[in-house]
Amino acid sequence: MSDEKKPAKQPKEDADITFYHPELLEVPEDGSPPFLKGYRCMGCGQLDFPKLSTCPTCWGEQFDMVPLSRRGKLYSVTDIYIGQAGMETPYIFGYIDLPEDLRIFAQLEGEPQSYQCDEEVELTVGTIRINRDGLPITSYKFSKLVPA
Amino acid sequence: MKLLRDVFIAGVGETPFRRHKADFDVLGRMAALEALRQSNIDRPQMIQSAYVGNATNGTVVGQTILKQLGMCGHMPIINVESACSAGGMAVHCAVKDVSTGLVDLALAVGAENHSLYMQRGTAFAPAMSDIETMHGAVMTGKYALRAKRYMHETGATVEDLAMITVKNRRHAKHNPNAWFKGDISIEEVVNSRLVADPLTLQQCCGIADGAGAVVVGSREMMDKLGIAQPIRVRGSVVQSGPYHNQPRDITGDDITESCSAALYELSGIGPKEVDIIELHDAFTIAELLYYECMGLCGKGEGLQFLRDGQSTYGGQCVVSPRGGMLSYGHPIGASGVAQVAACVKQLRNQCDGYQVEPVPRVAMTHVTGGGLSGTEHAACSMHMLSRD
Repeated sequence: MSDEKKPAKQPKEDADITFYHPELLEVPEDGSPPFLKGYRCMGCGQLDFPKLSTCPTCWGEQFDMVPLSRRGKLYSVTDIYIGQAGMETPYIFGYIDLPEDLRIFAQLEGEPQSYQCDEEVELTVGTIRINRDGLPITSYKFSKLVPA
Repeated sequence: MKLLRDVFIAGVGETPFRRHKADFDVLGRMAALEALRQSNIDRPQMIQSAYVGNATNGTVVGQTILKQLGMCGHMPIINVESACSAGGMAVHCAVKDVSTGLVDLALAVGAENHSLYMQRGTAFAPAMSDIETMHGAVMTGKYALRAKRYMHETGATVEDLAMITVKNRRHAKHNPNAWFKGDISIEEVVNSRLVADPLTLQQCCGIADGAGAVVVGSREMMDKLGIAQPIRVRGSVVQSGPYHNQPRDITGDDITESCSAALYELSGIGPKEVDIIELHDAFTIAELLYYECMGLCGKGEGLQFLRDGQSTYGGQCVVSPRGGMLSYGHPIGASGVAQVAACVKQLRNQCDGYQVEPVPRVAMTHVTGGGLSGTEHAACSMHMLSRD
């Protein structure tokens, strides 16, 4: 029938993600700083990041969420000039060691050649890649310390 | 794995490594036929099991390779995948079959074609389900992180790393199966295109296509086939990489260290007795770190070991005598088998123009595999071979 109403525009069911990943990263709506979410096993106390479905030590399946430190030490860093298919270069990634004895792999904001091993860096939020629909995916990244 | 009875290598085969228009199955058959003929095997039914390493060319690769050789039907063909360690793992499985007495003669093949399948100008990445891949990880970059940290801790320079490429290309100069070979200067290596700082293009293995094959069997089989120089498998170890998300020392390599220790114990051969090694020199930094991880020298002494010429002709142990992955390129499922093939040729004094002198008695191989977050590598496969 010609007078049939058009349905309201719905997000496509197969739309790709634009935020990675609510279980890993909290960006508070009140504007307070973002933080990574660690998970402490309620069975054996092991703290892990990222969240695991099962604790590899005791097979526990229940965890307490623990906000992780926002600053860490850059253990190693590299500038990537030939990257993954579809990723714009150069980009920077490295391992960041947090005081909680966890190592985070993440991209870093800024210019190539601007980071050194053992430098202190800070959590931030930014675009890590472009999704299948051509939209940016937001997630955790690290950056130079922002002066207080 | 303790070998329950002696296992020997009868024959080996390998294709030239480079960019091939021939697909993985054609390459795999070339290598397999060479190994079978060299083993004096004249009919397909003599082989009782086969293991085929491949990582990226799809499903039932082993059956695709072997059906035209009349080897489908009478025996199990088992496809083995663990990224760059797949080939070494296939050899391990064949050795295990013979060692346990399950079969008397088994075939291991590793074959891979990347260039027909992969987008040019992009880098290898682990699976997209991996959290690090999602954040942009590529294998070049993960090794660059190791290099950056090693340089930070030891004061090594990019020129030091470049010496590995210069050495391995020189070893490969007269090896017909090597791809990139011959004289290259430290300056040319350092000034080549930057891939992942500090790794330049000439410090990275090429994305190549190729295949290797190995026939293993019992002592009785060696006699029956009339093998003049059976090469004894003194040990075969496969391990999986320890998983945790805590800081670890990436100037070491937990899995290579534990795999080496296990292989030395099983074979009764220590690191100082190994004459030649083909190891996972996918990037310059890796070879440097593995000198230390394998106990060829002490922790922190790798650079001195290299500078002193201990890893080339006349040194304590000739590392990468075929030219390594830095000369061959690295078809990821093929390399582990091709390493074994190359070592067997050295032990048999068959490397005209690049033979290590005196003819080596003991050879070791090593392939790691898989960029899996929380591990240094998902897998590691190592072998110890000897002339006696």
